[in-house]
Amino acid sequence: MTKLLQTIVDGLGVGSTYALLALGISLIFGVMHLVNFAHGELITVGAYTSYFFFLHGGSWWWMPFVIIASAMLASVATELVAFRWVRNSSPFTLLLTSFALERLSHALWQIFVSPKQRAFPKPSWVFNQFKIAGVSFEVMDVVTIAVTAATLVLTAVIFKRTLFGISVRGAAEDFDAARLMGVRANRVISGAFAFAGFLAGVAACLILMRSPAAEPSMGSDWLLKAVIAAVIGGLGSFTGAVVGGLVLGLLETLTRAYLPDLADGWDKFSTAVVFVLIALFFVVRPDGIFKVSHAERV
Amino acid sequence: MNIGLAKVTRSTLASTALIAIVATLAMAYTSGGGASRDSLIAEMLTNFILVLGMQVFIGNTGVLSFGHMAFAQIASYATAVVAIPIAAKAKSLPDIPFGLADVEVGAFSATLIAIAVTMVLGALFGVAVCRASGLAPTMITLAALFVVDQVVKNWKELTRGAGGLSGIPRIEGNGWLWVGAFVALVVAHLFQETRIGRFAIATREDELAAPALGIRLFSSRYAAWAVSMGLTALGASLRAQSLGSVNPKQFTLDAGILVLVMLVVGGMHTVSGAVLGTVLITVGNEIFRQLGDPQRLGIERFPDLFLGGTMLLVMLLRPSGILGDRDLAGWLRRRMYRRGPAVEIEPQVGERALVASEIEVLFGGFVALDGAGLTVRPGEVIGLIGPNGAGKTTLFNVITGIVPEQAGRVALGDRDLTDAKPVDVARAGLARTFQNLRLFKNLSVRENVALTALVAARHRGHRARPDPDTLLDDAGLTEWADRPAGTLDYGNQRRLELARAAALAPEFLLLDEPTSGMSDQESLAMVQSVRSVAARIGAGVLVIDHDLGFITRISDHIVVLNEGRVLAEGTPAEVRANPLVAEAYLGSSA
Repeated sequence: MTKLLQTIVDGLGVGSTYALLALGISLIFGVMHLVNFAHGELITVGAYTSYFFFLHGGSWWWMPFVIIASAMLASVATELVAFRWVRNSSPFTLLLTSFALERLSHALWQIFVSPKQRAFPKPSWVFNQFKIAGVSFEVMDVVTIAVTAATLVLTAVIFKRTLFGISVRGAAEDFDAARLMGVRANRVISGAFAFAGFLAGVAACLILMRSPAAEPSMGSDWLLKAVIAAVIGGLGSFTGAVVGGLVLGLLETLTRAYLPDLADGWDKFSTAVVFVLIALFFVVRPDGIFKVSHAERV
Repeated sequence: MNIGLAKVTRSTLASTALIAIVATLAMAYTSGGGASRDSLIAEMLTNFILVLGMQVFIGNTGVLSFGHMAFAQIASYATAVVAIPIAAKAKSLPDIPFGLADVEVGAFSATLIAIAVTMVLGALFGVAVCRASGLAPTMITLAALFVVDQVVKNWKELTRGAGGLSGIPRIEGNGWLWVGAFVALVVAHLFQETRIGRFAIATREDELAAPALGIRLFSSRYAAWAVSMGLTALGASLRAQSLGSVNPKQFTLDAGILVLVMLVVGGMHTVSGAVLGTVLITVGNEIFRQLGDPQRLGIERFPDLFLGGTMLLVMLLRPSGILGDRDLAGWLRRRMYRRGPAVEIEPQVGERALVASEIEVLFGGFVALDGAGLTVRPGEVIGLIGPNGAGKTTLFNVITGIVPEQAGRVALGDRDLTDAKPVDVARAGLARTFQNLRLFKNLSVRENVALTALVAARHRGHRARPDPDTLLDDAGLTEWADRPAGTLDYGNQRRLELARAAALAPEFLLLDEPTSGMSDQESLAMVQSVRSVAARIGAGVLVIDHDLGFITRISDHIVVLNEGRVLAEGTPAEVRANPLVAEAYLGSSA
């Protein structure tokens, strides 16, 4: 029971980071049908920014704001220099454009900083543990879950209540119609990128507190998981992105924890098992858990 | 498979020309000497085959796959475990399963075994990849990459884990690699010439229009996948035998992306594009590697910058790649094209009526169709009109299987089509056009019509089939036959869609707003076009239009829909005289 509870908290911790990233990917997909493979690079941007600030006396008290701001700026910048120019191209072209940005980002960090890892200090309390009713939890897991929950509530409020949020949802539903209703395309898209950047920035803070180091290709693994989570949830669906992220996180930690019990010697294959399950899921439900029907006239 | 002699000749010609160009360049380069130059050529040739492997699937179907490297890995390890000499295997893989310890085969057999193993595993996996739609196939292939990677790293008895395997007998020189590259070129060219290959391309061009014209998504994609697996295995096996070793680092996502960049930079739609991309990226990579050398600029990983930069530039400036849809084989195909003798077909009016009855469709809470129905008798022209939102297009979509109905029945004679999928509806004899034009835009005008003629040849053999060139003549499009369909003006695109549907030799043509966006004069001409095409193939017509003038001129009988129900029907004169129609259609003030 204790093990199960700890595993679930672990899983929710990892899963909520996936959820934040997946939400950004889903949001961008909603407004411009782009599966943004450069989204994970925002974590890298946040990491290098932290590294530079810590070189000049940074502190974890105000670092999260810097990380979030850098991720937002970088996100908006990718739209300005690249995605804006291919906005009306096929989803395939959009995807490859983001891929190119990802490659370019890796190369630039490698060339201008270093291919090697650059570490900086972590907050002192990260690996502290505390006990409730005999079950010990990691502080960081709880912080991750709480911060994610708060961010999701904030996101929900913004998208339900503010004009910006409603414009973005309208644009995600039917871009042309939204435009006819007076929603400004450039502004909505820039805003969506800024918000996706904000979400990635929050995720980056959570990731960097745990493993405070910058590395050129650190964003890729997170990105792939987040894309998978977003597609599991149903691309374009906000609820789906969150559910997809949590499901993926739980699936990973539960398999890792319980697979050896089920089949001896299979612990080495936990990732393989997870991905076989994911592949099977896509065969059964290619559109994800929450299918989003796009405004496409036949 | 219908592989005619002309197709084989054409594919071989194009392949020979391409390989001759590459060989000339390679010879000029290697004549400067040095074993490193030969090994760069070896690398380029194996990349060549891997890129062509990707081209066959990704280029023809438009479905992005990250998983090709997973299957390249399977092929490489399959090669290694059967080719490494028994003595060496006893040392490096003492616990190898499946009785492989006593197996040692030559280079040729090892390659064939690798291809067979990969194609079998690929065939299983391909079912999942090709059944799914949207982004799911891409995700499934990505999952394959992770699964194979972890299995290879951890199934140490078979693969020796992350360290990889060495001691694969090396093939001497680059001769066999050239042969492999040539074979890959011929296969990739030939696939585009086969019927199933053309169908795959049609699904890439329009995932919705292809099934509506009788092309099954799954089978055409699956064929592309199978051939693609074979080529990927060939490339990977040859590479393993050229390098003499394999390890998991050769098959990461990054390695796959390198191959993908080669494909998209040249232009993924064509074999010529794949070849150009491979040469450019291999050469560029080498130049940047040398520039980044510690003795020159001293920049580590300089080639990565080149790769990312090139890919971004190509996407921003020429998203379809440097060559786009231009291609040696396509040029040959056009040059070698000869019109067959014009055969006048005897118009064969069908015997079955198309009946839709009591159709109900709900979109959420909105009632789109509320018991509407209609009957089109053989050879008859029925006009379907009604105000916006009356449910005209929805009724079309129900009849053609695109939208499922909650209640009601659709039948063609005694053939029940109520739950039939679009592809089966089309094959049964209903061909449709789309309100918002769904041509195969990157294919030539002739190709658009020829594609459905191919479907007709296979599934509509019992009917007299019109000659595609005659249809183009009738539509006044012969002049533009070799142009990409997407470059035609609006009116001509509409006429092409009509010709494309007619080429299916259907019993009924379903036309969704064939005159939208046309001038009055063009609309008048369209009345003539539709009538003459329908008469030529002996088809009945169901046509939706907003243009009352057009509808009354063209129709024998008119059905008026309003709020999902049939409001009135009759001859054009009767409908015109009906006060209910005037009220619904023009508003009460009219």
